[in-house]
Amino acid sequence: MTGRVRLSQIVKVFGWIGLTSLGAGRTVYFHEALVVKRVWIKTHEFIQDLTLSQLLPGPNFSNLAVALGVRLAGWRGGASGAAVLIVPGALILLAVSMLYFRIGFTPNATAAMHGAGAAVVGLVLVTTARIMRVSIRRGSELLVAAAIFTLVGPLHVHTVAAVLLVAPVSLWIHRPRRGSGS
Amino acid sequence: MLDLARMTWTFLWLSLICVGGGLGVVPELERQVVNRFQWVTAREFVDGYTLSQLTPGPNMMVAVFVGYRAHGLLGALLACTAMFLPVSILTAVVARHWETIRDRPWARTCEHALAPIGVGLMAAGVYTLARSGVRDWATGALAILAALILYGRWLPPVALVLAAGLVGWLAGL
Repeated sequence: MTGRVRLSQIVKVFGWIGLTSLGAGRTVYFHEALVVKRVWIKTHEFIQDLTLSQLLPGPNFSNLAVALGVRLAGWRGGASGAAVLIVPGALILLAVSMLYFRIGFTPNATAAMHGAGAAVVGLVLVTTARIMRVSIRRGSELLVAAAIFTLVGPLHVHTVAAVLLVAPVSLWIHRPRRGSGS
Repeated sequence: MLDLARMTWTFLWLSLICVGGGLGVVPELERQVVNRFQWVTAREFVDGYTLSQLTPGPNMMVAVFVGYRAHGLLGALLACTAMFLPVSILTAVVARHWETIRDRPWARTCEHALAPIGVGLMAAGVYTLARSGVRDWATGALAILAALILYGRWLPPVALVLAAGLVGWLAGL
């Protein structure tokens, strides 16, 4: 498979995300970099990879890097994308951990984290709204999204259980119809 | 050496039960590394998790912190590898295989069916983050301001998070 993006570009962009992705809701960084800023992938492709990364075991953020990397440049894209996303943060945290255990400082960062946490809510809200505007085209799709939201959000149903429950309905809604062309 | 192998194995299976978001596995992670094997104290675990939030990269990077505390540099390396490598390979295999079959009608149906599910999961993520992130009117206002700035593309996400952290620190949120 020929990659749609050069490996060096993946290393550069994913590496930058690996160095700058702070706070919760870190998938926002990928959406901004790959969908909004560079248009390397389409919104529906992003949401497919995001869902896959959530359904497979492992940390979402690194799984997403692998899935997006594979989509953009095959095996090498996935491997290098994940490596440059994980290694910088690991080295930085290792250095901070060494300082923590040698000097014994306490990260008294509660107030700063409250501020950053509030901003992250705004970021994921905008990203979700942008994705929703493009991905939801029918009332029935809105109902599927609302069902998943209600189950996983307010009702605290485990993600996998909620998806297993709702996926058959979504598959039925999207079943190929005669004359639809797909 | 036995404890090093046990720690590596623990992070490996923890990565495998980390489905649907890292937050869900944190209680079990704490139970294993604090209560069961005592690689870190409860206080160190909280500090380590905070540090992993304040540094870039995936949240589950806290494995590096615990691994370093338990077995030095080798512990950090093995903990990080166990947490990320096997699941990354699994994701790559599934994603690559999907690339080869995605043009089939049933695969396209699956992809279309996944879109609203993905949107619902993202919305649930917003809800979960808002419950802990929006604590009062000040943090609510900060969230709205961040949303407007990102929507207007006036600042990149990392600058927004850093600026909001600074505001939170200065204002003592």
